[in-house]
Amino acid sequence: MRVSTLDLANFRNYAALHVEPPGGVCVFIGDNAQGKSNLLEAISLLATGKSFRAAREADLVRTDCPLARVAARVTTSSLEVQAACIITRVGEGARKRFLRNGRGVAYAQFLGGISAVTFMPLDLQLIAGPPAIRRRFLNVALSQADRGYYRQHVRYTGILAQKNALLKAPGGVDRKLLATYNEQLAAVGAALIGARAAYVRGLAREAAAVHARWVGDAPQLRMRYVPSPALPEGDESPGAVLRAFSLAWETHGAAELVRKTSLVGPHRDDIEFALDDHALARFGSQGQQRTAVLAVKSAEYALLAAAVGEAPLLLLDDVLSELDAERRRSFMSSIEGCEQAFVTATELPDLAAGSAVSVFEITDGRLAARAQT
Amino acid sequence: MEHLAPPLSALIGELEKLPTVGPKTAARLAFYLLSASKEDAAALARAIVELKEKVRFCSHCFSLTESDPCAICNDARRDGAVICVVGEAKDVYAIERTMSFRGRYHVLGGLISPIEGIGVDKLKIQELLDRVRAEDTKEIIIATNPNAEGESTALYLARLLTPLGVTVTRLAYGLPIGGDLDYADEVTLSRALEGRRAL
Ligand SMILES: Nc1ncnc2c1ncn2[C@@H]1O[C@H](COP(=O)(O)OP(=O)(O)OP(=O)(O)O)[C@@H](O)[C@H]1O
Ligand SMILES: [Mg+2]
Ligand SMILES: [Zn+2]
Repeated sequence: MRVSTLDLANFRNYAALHVEPPGGVCVFIGDNAQGKSNLLEAISLLATGKSFRAAREADLVRTDCPLARVAARVTTSSLEVQAACIITRVGEGARKRFLRNGRGVAYAQFLGGISAVTFMPLDLQLIAGPPAIRRRFLNVALSQADRGYYRQHVRYTGILAQKNALLKAPGGVDRKLLATYNEQLAAVGAALIGARAAYVRGLAREAAAVHARWVGDAPQLRMRYVPSPALPEGDESPGAVLRAFSLAWETHGAAELVRKTSLVGPHRDDIEFALDDHALARFGSQGQQRTAVLAVKSAEYALLAAAVGEAPLLLLDDVLSELDAERRRSFMSSIEGCEQAFVTATELPDLAAGSAVSVFEITDGRLAARAQT
Repeated sequence: MEHLAPPLSALIGELEKLPTVGPKTAARLAFYLLSASKEDAAALARAIVELKEKVRFCSHCFSLTESDPCAICNDARRDGAVICVVGEAKDVYAIERTMSFRGRYHVLGGLISPIEGIGVDKLKIQELLDRVRAEDTKEIIIATNPNAEGESTALYLARLLTPLGVTVTRLAYGLPIGGDLDYADEVTLSRALEGRRAL
């Protein structure tokens, strides 16, 4: 799919922007703090319904303005979609509304219309950062590919919040109510774990293949999904997950009552990365971790393309600065075949001879197309 | 609103407190009442005062009533062996409008939600258990809302009631009548599939 028009009004440092980006690779060049990341944030907002920086939503609205609007026309192989998100300041916070083809739709209905894979320097923490980053990665990737997953995740989060409130409730815990929440968490949790296990399996296969293309066969990139509760024999069928849940609560149930929080369930899942048998988080060099993340992101792209039957948008924020000149060139040529990619950089990267990219310059929230050389 | 006569702006202020009524609607309603006949305005005022003075909770089923016990609890033609459990009193009227339920009701007074501080003891759950033990109840129909709190409340009640030897049922999830299949969201549709019936 590709964005054919993008309109921003009072979004971040953009007062008004209208751009009709061509297909292929679009490079956005600008000094620091000119609005490069803000532009990609806007496009990503239309795909995921959320900011890719864990930001306060009110910050998306331009200073001193009541509301911001991001709208795009996106062409897929079968149809043309108009998607828009309106963010309105409400007190200290903000409210988002979503529109598809001019009609208001619920968030869950909005998701999946536009698909995008984002890659930015923060993603480098995917390997060595805290587990919450890896769970967030799974949730964003799976929600885009599968609306059912999104709904199950919302349900899970809601029941979990009720259970945690019950554990903290003054005046003691009603055991039958606790058992009710556990029963629900196990059922929804089993669906999440099944979906995550299948996704990580596919992702691991694809990422290992990409990794092998870049660095050769050895060492091999390995990914392992580590669910909570632990699953004996790696059996992820709903029945096995339900049994694992009851087993885990037998051992940790008392601790949950003491610590007044839920210790078992996919909100404690993780993914482990390794090169052959060496954990990447502990033993990998910066360069090895970076290459692994790039391989995982390429795999995410391939899996999303397969799931929606359409090439997703590729949003690359400031990733070239992490690479040396040689890798920059080969990276740029590796994305050339994309239907549409948005790449930001502080300076125009060296390009291999004959490569065609469109270049835009961003200065203080304004955009100018640079004459093709 | 300082330029308005004080009684008018007072009424607008009161109407604005009502749910779904904003300042514009409040002003429109107030001006309408100003132009309405004196009798109509008095009837409205009287109805509001009587509502507060005369309506109370039935001590048996906890729905709203003028006489205690309520008309439904008192109606001998109603089947006392079937109790329909709802969250709010207004849900009783929703089901009564169908005119297809001939049993009695039990109003919980809310749904379980520890987040909002609504624990089990805040609801008329013990009263329901007492009723089932005292009366010859055969079936409990749980008709709480099909949202997260309604679901948890229903499952919790089933846990308590099943050991008492009553049949516990839950309203079926289904498709809205007169709607189009392709407009139904996936959850509604998949629940409707799960609850399908042989023809
Ligand atoms: N709500 C807002 N209203 C006005 N300006 C904003 C708002 N939010 C962010 N900005 C401004 O946007 C600019 C940052 O834009 P952005 O993060 O896109 O920079 P960038 O071009 O990606 O820079 P870098 O190369 O450093 O990553 C800052 O100057 C910031 O003050
Ligand atoms: Mg930036
Ligand atoms: Zn009654």
